Amino acid sequence: MNPDFINNDAMNSDPHQRARLLISLSGPEASNPERSWLAAHLEFCPSCREFADSTGQTIRSLRGFSITAGARLVSTTQLRVRQRALDLQRRQERFWMICTCCTAVTFCSAINAAVLWRGFAWMGQQARLSAPLWEGGFLVIYLMPAVLVGILLLARGTFLADYNGSSQDWS
Amino acid sequence: MNATACYFVSAMADENSEIARGLRRRDPDLLDHLIEKYQHRLLRYLLYLTGRREMAEDFFQETWIRVLERGSQYDGRHEFSTWLFTIARNLVIDDLRRKRPASLDSLADEDAAVPFDLPATGQPSAFDATVQHEQNEQISAGMQHISAEYRESLLLRFHEGMSLEEIATVTGAPLGTVKSRIYRGLTALGPWVKGARL
Repeated sequence: MNPDFINNDAMNSDPHQRARLLISLSGPEASNPERSWLAAHLEFCPSCREFADSTGQTIRSLRGFSITAGARLVSTTQLRVRQRALDLQRRQERFWMICTCCTAVTFCSAINAAVLWRGFAWMGQQARLSAPLWEGGFLVIYLMPAVLVGILLLARGTFLADYNGSSQDWS
Repeated sequence: MNATACYFVSAMADENSEIARGLRRRDPDLLDHLIEKYQHRLLRYLLYLTGRREMAEDFFQETWIRVLERGSQYDGRHEFSTWLFTIARNLVIDDLRRKRPASLDSLADEDAAVPFDLPATGQPSAFDATVQHEQNEQISAGMQHISAEYRESLLLRFHEGMSLEEIATVTGAPLGTVKSRIYRGLTALGPWVKGARL
């Protein structure tokens, strides 16, 4: 029981307001003294008694409403939820696959860089090249694939943007 | 607290934790079960909130999709229904905000011309059924004219049997506001009940 169920409300200065509020909020939260006070008030107050009757009727009517979800709505929802769950699962799997690939690529490129560096150093020594020269060659060879892929992706991105832009213009 | 009450409280807590674990796993069987279990309660809540069957059915589906997507946010410490209704409510409000900056109040104005589609339940005798039906019609008519926030509070209190604190959690309103909405909602419906009696 909550002793402040009704006592902390601003509407309590008027006993009729307090009684009506108590009637409206009729529930397990009301304390025994509040219930006793209400019962005593209702005995000598016909207008609040009428309000209690009317409110009781309203609450009974509200509880009497029956709304049911159709079987089709339920099955459609279940289907949509299952599809979405599958979609999210696939996305999750793809995410983990990308993470694994990124880790593997990072690991491989680290080893690759070390091996290539040693290879370039050895070739530089054999060809009697200066250090900045073979280091520059290493950088060019090492970064070339990434630069090429970057250029290709940028070109493709520009192409897609142009295509979308023109499609919007046509519509 | 006696032993039986303890048992029920512990069983409910176990059930909520089970739901929370299942939602984290995105278990489709659990979701199927939850959709079936809460179908009527959720639809009724959305219908009270929106006042339109088609809109409520759309939100019904979207609510379960959101439950699937954000299931990991449910901690199992509160009632699942409270969390579910909060999600449904936020969806409705987000949708309203997307269309135009508004609160739930705007739904009451929008619904003014739309019948509040609430069928009546079957009653024991034909006379009682007629009286009850007539009264339900009147209350339905009254529902069209009261604020969506009042409708929502009345449903959560008298249909869902939620405590005032739970209603405050779902609606995000202070306790005093919840009390006031219930009181004002019932007072506003009073004339419609009297109309049915005459």
